Amino acid sequence: MNATSNQSDKKRRKVSSYFIRMRSLNVFFIFVLLFAVFAIFSPGHRFTSGENMRIFLSTGAEFTIVAIVVGMLMISGEFDLSVGSILVFTSYIFITLFHAGVHILLSLIITLIAGGFVGYINGIITVKARIPSFITTLGAMLLWRGVTMLLSGGLQQGLVLTENPVMYKAITGVVGKIMPAQFLWFIGITVIITLIMHFHKFGNWIFTTGDNKMAARAMGINTDRIKVVCFTVVGIAVAFAGVMQMFRSETFSARAGDGWELKAIAAAVVGGTALTGGMGTMMGVFWGALVIAIIENGLIFMRIQYWWTFTIFGVIIVSTAIISRYFDQRRTMLGAEKNV
Amino acid sequence: MSDKQADAKEGTSAEKVPLVQVPLVQVPLVRMVDIDKWFGKVNALQGINFTVNHGEIVGLVGDNGAGKSTLIKILSGFYPADRGEIYFEGKKVNISNPKLAKKLGIETVYQEQALAPHISIARNVFMGREPTRFMGFMDRGMMDRESMGAITKLGLRIKDPEAMVEALSGGQRQGVAIARVLYFKAKLVVLDEPTIALSVKESQQVLDFMQQLKAEGISVIFITHNIFHAFQVAERFFILARGEMLTDVRKEDTTIDHLIDLIVSGRREIKS
Repeated sequence: MNATSNQSDKKRRKVSSYFIRMRSLNVFFIFVLLFAVFAIFSPGHRFTSGENMRIFLSTGAEFTIVAIVVGMLMISGEFDLSVGSILVFTSYIFITLFHAGVHILLSLIITLIAGGFVGYINGIITVKARIPSFITTLGAMLLWRGVTMLLSGGLQQGLVLTENPVMYKAITGVVGKIMPAQFLWFIGITVIITLIMHFHKFGNWIFTTGDNKMAARAMGINTDRIKVVCFTVVGIAVAFAGVMQMFRSETFSARAGDGWELKAIAAAVVGGTALTGGMGTMMGVFWGALVIAIIENGLIFMRIQYWWTFTIFGVIIVSTAIISRYFDQRRTMLGAEKNV
Repeated sequence: MSDKQADAKEGTSAEKVPLVQVPLVQVPLVRMVDIDKWFGKVNALQGINFTVNHGEIVGLVGDNGAGKSTLIKILSGFYPADRGEIYFEGKKVNISNPKLAKKLGIETVYQEQALAPHISIARNVFMGREPTRFMGFMDRGMMDRESMGAITKLGLRIKDPEAMVEALSGGQRQGVAIARVLYFKAKLVVLDEPTIALSVKESQQVLDFMQQLKAEGISVIFITHNIFHAFQVAERFFILARGEMLTDVRKEDTTIDHLIDLIVSGRREIKS
């Protein structure tokens, strides 16, 4: 009898330790909680209507794709404050090419390459000139937004995609009448990045680079290259999110992506990513990004003034940081975290 | 002036000392000959001749700024020497970067730079050398098994290969770093101040690890300024002060008091 009680005790401890070690579960519960609150308290439960779910999953995905790659970059120990500006700059490249008569697929490819290149420049400047990425990308944020404003004159431009139904459907269509294609892209990108971060050796190099750069270097890991690659991936993913957003809204706006840089960092932090690098999980960032997206979407249905969003973001970011600090200490005692 | 000094030393140490130290039948694992290093106007190393034999623990002792780290950084490829030659297993080598040093089998364990604290033990052991199954995806099962194997071999008891390094004690961390060089079959391990921040008990543990490495046939350079620690495990002492060698002496030919006296007074041992 003693043995069985001991065993169940052990089992219980294992379950609770698993909960703590699996950081992403904590964030998942925050998401569920917010979902429940919005579902119950939105007037007429309109939050959970099919239409809004589609809006949430499609518009949310544009941002969450950015958050996922920003989370990866933060694990490598760097920031990117220029994601919003890269987004608008590459959007401008796309719409200019498209309007100049370049094939839509080619326009998309060139846009992704341009996004990658802008990210690559951020990375090269950061590692070669040894400037903190906070500064490099702060500069890039102002620069690319400015360039886009200059070139576009700050004007909106319409995007007509009726002649390209295939591309339109592939990027912003609806699968099975429910699931927006954007969300599937988000899931797909998350799966790929998760596999790389937690199962591929390159992911291990990203973690070690962010956690202890000197140790990684001493073991022959080219930390500069790792960081440049992460910046480049951020650029590509952001360009893709930008195109996605234009496809949905059928407009180019010079204000697109404004404020996304801090929101993306907030999503990563809510998801348990350390600002110092080396710590975080992609599942955590996944739910963290959805938490930020659901707050934005849900508050609209609560009929609360938009400005409340910022207030609530603030409260949620600081409180999750406090909670995750507490769990970090517990996690250290219990061992490494469970990634997936 | 300094050239003269170096020349003078060449006459005494380069020719005589190695002959006395090393039996001619055995080629030393590492022989650094007449190493000079300048940092601007500071002569950090002055004509140093340093050898390490197979399966030997050498205590590289000296106060802060004596040139211990500089000597080791030259050996491990972080700095080039301004003058001098390095022989590894009898062959002249040019160790121009840390990767080449690793390739030769020279592994350096720095206390702060060895491990990533928020990453699991298994991942730390295989950092940069992960075994993969396909397309670069890691063989995590093997990483867990092999890392635990290496750690157990060292006489260290850790249960969970998934535990974060941050949860380990200082001695255990040194153990993980040393298990890594053991696993990857280093020929020479340089331990840079491995006991500096450790408790008495943990220091003892690290000294035991060194004996274990020796038992595996691995040579150890033990850098320390704690002569008491060095005296417990090292078979030979190489003492530096201000970039000059004070003495290079076997344990049986000296006493701890004599070594302390040398370090404190900073005077050169005149070889008889």
